[in-house]
Amino acid sequence: MALSLSNFLLPLALLLSSTARCATVTYDFDVGWTYANPDGQRTRPVMGINGQWPIPPIVATKGDQVIVNVKNSLGNESTSLHFHGLYMNGTSHMDGVIAVTQCGIPPGSSFTYNFTVDQPGTYWYHTHERGQYPDGLRGPLIIHDPEDPHQDLYDEEIVLTLSDWYHDLMHGLLASFMSVANPSGAEPVPQAALFNDTQDLAVRVEPGKTYLFRMVNMGAFAAQYVWFEEHTMRIVEVDGVYTEPMEADMIYLTAAQRCSVLVTAKNDTSANFAFVGSMDQDLFDAVPDGLNPNVTGWLVYDDSKEKPAPKLIDAFEPFDDFELVPYDQEELLDRVDHSITLDLKMDNLADGANYAFFNDITYVHPKVPTLYTVLSTGPNATNPIIYGENTNAFVLAQNQVIEIILNNDDPGKHPFHLHGHAFQVITRSPDDAGFYDPANTPEPPSTPMRRDTILVRPNGHTVLRFRSDNPGVWLFHCHIEWHVASGLVATIVESPLAVQAQLMDSIPSDHWDVCAAAGVPTQGNAAGNVGDLADLRGANVAPGRIPDGFTARGIVALVFSCISALVGLAVIGWYGFKPV
Amino acid sequence: MPNVFALPVFFICFRECLETSIIVSVLLAFLKQTLGPEDKNNNNASVHKRLVRQIWCGVGAGVAVCVIICVGVIASFYTAGRNAFEAAEHIWEGVFGILASLIITLMGAALLRVNKMQDKWRVKISKVLERRDAKLPIQGRLKRWSEKYAMFILPFVTVLREGIEAVLFIAGVGLGLPATSFPLAVLCGLGAGALVGYLIYKGGNRTSLQIFLVVSTGFLYLVAAGLFSKGVWNLEMHAWVQLAGEGAAEAGSGPGSYDIRKSVWHVNCCSPLDNGSGGWGIFNSLFGWQNSATYGSVISYNLYWLAVIVGFLFLGWKERKGGSGAQPSTEESDDTSSGHVEVAGKKTSDEGIMIGTAVREVK
Repeated sequence: MALSLSNFLLPLALLLSSTARCATVTYDFDVGWTYANPDGQRTRPVMGINGQWPIPPIVATKGDQVIVNVKNSLGNESTSLHFHGLYMNGTSHMDGVIAVTQCGIPPGSSFTYNFTVDQPGTYWYHTHERGQYPDGLRGPLIIHDPEDPHQDLYDEEIVLTLSDWYHDLMHGLLASFMSVANPSGAEPVPQAALFNDTQDLAVRVEPGKTYLFRMVNMGAFAAQYVWFEEHTMRIVEVDGVYTEPMEADMIYLTAAQRCSVLVTAKNDTSANFAFVGSMDQDLFDAVPDGLNPNVTGWLVYDDSKEKPAPKLIDAFEPFDDFELVPYDQEELLDRVDHSITLDLKMDNLADGANYAFFNDITYVHPKVPTLYTVLSTGPNATNPIIYGENTNAFVLAQNQVIEIILNNDDPGKHPFHLHGHAFQVITRSPDDAGFYDPANTPEPPSTPMRRDTILVRPNGHTVLRFRSDNPGVWLFHCHIEWHVASGLVATIVESPLAVQAQLMDSIPSDHWDVCAAAGVPTQGNAAGNVGDLADLRGANVAPGRIPDGFTARGIVALVFSCISALVGLAVIGWYGFKPV
Repeated sequence: MPNVFALPVFFICFRECLETSIIVSVLLAFLKQTLGPEDKNNNNASVHKRLVRQIWCGVGAGVAVCVIICVGVIASFYTAGRNAFEAAEHIWEGVFGILASLIITLMGAALLRVNKMQDKWRVKISKVLERRDAKLPIQGRLKRWSEKYAMFILPFVTVLREGIEAVLFIAGVGLGLPATSFPLAVLCGLGAGALVGYLIYKGGNRTSLQIFLVVSTGFLYLVAAGLFSKGVWNLEMHAWVQLAGEGAAEAGSGPGSYDIRKSVWHVNCCSPLDNGSGGWGIFNSLFGWQNSATYGSVISYNLYWLAVIVGFLFLGWKERKGGSGAQPSTEESDDTSSGHVEVAGKKTSDEGIMIGTAVREVK
């Protein structure tokens, strides 16, 4: 079962090669279907790379140029690769988001991602086609740092991915999720949880050594509680941001979050210890009978000793990541230039399915990828109207302090992710705190925690800040894949004129080729209109609202019913009073 | 108000009690005519007294048995049947609603011809009594017993039959209603039925009585139309719950609580199921109001009225046609027709025939 582990146990040699700066790391990925049975319950088709699943990690060193040549051999689905957490500074077109920064790579086509990584840490990569990555096309992306401030604290690093796992293909699950038969928007519940795409993972440890566990939650939906029995973790990095080491007995990792922890092995080898990932069942609408929400691994000190079953715990009391302090002590951005308020809610639209909304708008992707709209509209690119009414587009000016106020008017937990940036978390409310009210909010920390994916609590809020120093088109979205499908997405168009200056003539031809192959327009506004950019006729829009109360149809029906009742009564009266 | 007063239950009780009281009143009138108490000299007075007592004993015994049956039905429903019922609640409500509606519809017209009902029973009773005279020579013990207690058996059987009918209808109509809504409605229905029966017996103001009957029949048909439409609605709702599962139940009256593809109107208020929106509950039980109407419920409601309109026009036309024809033979043929059905022991089909083939009634 620990087969895949060797992939993740990266040679220390890589760490030591700090002299070899600015290397080029190339990956040739042939994406295609294969079969796998990671939870031992069912063999299912999965999206593998070069015939392999689990897919290989992408590993590079800070400063490297990374080239990923993707060939889509799926045959039946378009795809793309998004490098989650990488800022893509100057290469917004390499962010991999279909309908935002590129067109989907249709079956048979190839596409090259080429970017420089200038940020160390734990990341991951996954397809950004609608609802696709839970079919298996997601893997860790590790950027090593020759100047890692914590490098003296550990001996070895271990990549530990977490994931939920479905037995059915996303295509069918999405269809039943976004359907009239699921009016409450109940998300499909996964069938299993995985460590490193397997279960009962054995991690060999040597006594006395300290290990850096790079944990990545690559799940579609479920957040997981993670703990090591009788070992304390020291958190040193979240989402690629080094933190002051802080001790934690249990952490909570939402979908898409990462956390690196130091675990020091005991000095004796008398026993092995379990470590556990447990899916947060609060997220599940109904917990099916027989679901095992837990996945277990072991710190194996001695192969000959038994691997003890994990002990029951009384309660989940995870570390609050809001407490973390970034290692670089970056100070609070306290002068906000542009504040954006996003009110989140769920509701049904006229097709009967359940949709997710920011400010009453559910995301529907534009006909023209938003980045191409930026590049083809000249000075009009600063006008948010042209990006379409269903894209929740916000245009940011350059080098300003941006604040996102997120009010969660929904009784669910949501992990929000911003592309292109890590944000400062200014405040995050407990459950049921309602909308953000500055007067009732505690003073923000002077050096707030930064990360790129943040949990927002049920009916609570959070406030995030970042500096708009990275021109590009970036999504802000819930990283529960179901909610991406139901439209919980906003588009941040950051410094569009600077984007034009950067990329106007430097989009590689394969970008245009895949659009041409997929028949997607690349010019004009969200509707693909080139002449009058304010004309959004023909744009993709969401189904209509459900009418409140009576429509013309209802009034006609009611009036007709009343008339027939009255006529009926009249006839009864006529018959009743008729002399016999 | 729907929690304390179930209108359909009221009308059913009223209807059944009225028929019972008409029979009783006919019997009493018959005794009064044949063995008038004014003749105090002969022993007829004591016979009369005994027979009147028999009648009331019959009524009493019938009511008692009905109450027992009723208790049995309720007990078995709330113990054994409750779970089975809840599992397929919408199907039960739908099927019983439609059945009850059809039966009420077929019975209803008879209310408008109460005097005819009186005549019918007068003929029937006199036949029974005549038969007694004819068969007097035969000295079977059973025969003699039934002769002796004819005045007991007749009301007893009538009350029993009407009562069981009422219990079954109420069970059908009231499946989805709270238990608290029954007692008052039952009592009022019985009271009103008895009162009208008494008025008929007294031969009071015929016109105001007729107004009363027409108005209550109108209500009865409104209720039946609502029941019919709601029955269809319930069946559709069942299909929706099957499809949408818990989601539908979870949604209350908001989106997802109904199948948007079949919706004609939906207002996120005024649900008859909401506690505290009493007015809409009355609306629901009276007219079948739904805050969420479907094509099925609207079309079935209108079709129901169409059928009723056509039915009554047909009745009226037949009466007019029959009225100009052979009038004298009315009693004779009426009796044979309904008497025939009587033998088959199917009271409801008797009523059905009254509407369906009212020709024979009136001819």
